[in-house]
Amino acid sequence: MKALEIKNLRKSYGATDAVKEISFSIEPGEFFGFLGPNGAGKTSTIKCTTGIASFQGGTIKVFGIDVVADYREARKKIGLAPQDFNVDIFATAYDILWYVGGYYGIPGASRKKRVDDVLERFELGAHSKKSFMALSGGLKRRVMLARAMVHDPDLLILDEPTAGVDVEMRHDLWRYLQDLNKAGKTILLTSHYLEEVEFLCNRIAIISGGKIAAIGDKSEFTTGGKKLEQTYLEITKDGKSL
Amino acid sequence: MMHKINWVGLYTFVARETGRMFRVWIQTLGAPWISSLLYILIFGHVVGQRIDTIAGVSYIDFVLPGIVMMNIMNSAFSHTSTSLYVMKWFRAIDELLVAPLSYFEMIIGFLAGGVVRGVIVGAGVYALGVFFTQATVAHFFLMILYAAAISTIFSLAGMLVALWAKNFEQLSLPSIFIITPLTFLGGVFNSIYMMPPLLQWVVRLNPFFYFVDGLRYTMLGISESNMIAGMALTIGLILGLGYWVWYLFKIGYKIRE
Repeated sequence: MKALEIKNLRKSYGATDAVKEISFSIEPGEFFGFLGPNGAGKTSTIKCTTGIASFQGGTIKVFGIDVVADYREARKKIGLAPQDFNVDIFATAYDILWYVGGYYGIPGASRKKRVDDVLERFELGAHSKKSFMALSGGLKRRVMLARAMVHDPDLLILDEPTAGVDVEMRHDLWRYLQDLNKAGKTILLTSHYLEEVEFLCNRIAIISGGKIAAIGDKSEFTTGGKKLEQTYLEITKDGKSL
Repeated sequence: MMHKINWVGLYTFVARETGRMFRVWIQTLGAPWISSLLYILIFGHVVGQRIDTIAGVSYIDFVLPGIVMMNIMNSAFSHTSTSLYVMKWFRAIDELLVAPLSYFEMIIGFLAGGVVRGVIVGAGVYALGVFFTQATVAHFFLMILYAAAISTIFSLAGMLVALWAKNFEQLSLPSIFIITPLTFLGGVFNSIYMMPPLLQWVVRLNPFFYFVDGLRYTMLGISESNMIAGMALTIGLILGLGYWVWYLFKIGYKIRE
């Protein structure tokens, strides 16, 4: 069973096709990099997978569960840290995690411990009673990551998770994500920091113009001592396939 | 596919929606109570002293159910329309869309906030009325049921407007051009028999008249409308608006990209 299986996904916004019948899958336990230029279709694919967007064609399954037909079971498996701060900006960091934990069905007694653990892990304890809008950009990003983790999902989807995060926190987050991946979590990561993807991911797909331009093991993108960035630029500029 | 209800998720969302009104209680509870007090004093006492009894009750007693209902309608509508629209605006609605909550559970959560606020505001206005009027209750359980039913209608209407609105100006339009005029023309401050015969027929086509008159019946035991028609209208609107809201959530109208 695949952790994520996307077949012939088609997503359009009016007359604009954002995703053009893409297909790919992620095995359980993989650390998967999902790259592409702005507007290539990365975030649209993620939004279709998580339920934020509807789609016009194709199927998406998470651990064998269809995200449309059995959306509630599918969503329990997914944790999303989105690119945008889609949150009640007046709520405190603690309340954000508390409520989201509740939505995922975590009962009160265990929820408090889980929220405290996640706050501690992301070093948010001192800021937990501050409203979201009073936090710095980096702290806001941490809250987004903590929110994605609060229900301990099997598939973690991170859309530009380190944008606006300082170097120390970024490296700390890398270690945390590696630990999670070693513990069996499947991770889909999008990032414009290609060194981050090269460091963390073991398989990579590049989407360009709404189509998968290349997909394979990381080694296939770095053959002959090439940096991932070099291969990425060649693929996205020339539209060639790997 | 039938699912078990996500009770913890539903309870959490209901708690969030109902708790929101207490965080800003001056705006959500204090404001309608203060304005109601002014209505009771001005319309009830100052104006009312110059008006004869209506259907055997004093003017202030006649007006109180209308003021209660007016605040129930406004509060329930305001609660869900603001809550859902602000969620859309900040995209905090995504938190619900990615969570394992059904559309039904999402709607119940919003509804609970609107109904609880409507009933609390209405109860508070009634409590204020106790100091200035007879504040009788002819049918207690029917009064609670009616207040909850009308709150449900206006909470659902608030959700529809929140889904439809593209900006804060649009959000306020139905309140200005529909709710306020129909409320004032719905017999809040006057008996329908004070109006010319032609206008009486127009008022009978105004659904708000049945809402106000229904609550007046539960409090005073007097009615100027057809109670069966009022109940049928209330139930019909709850079912019709409920289905409409559920359908819009299901297709993700202006909430799902």
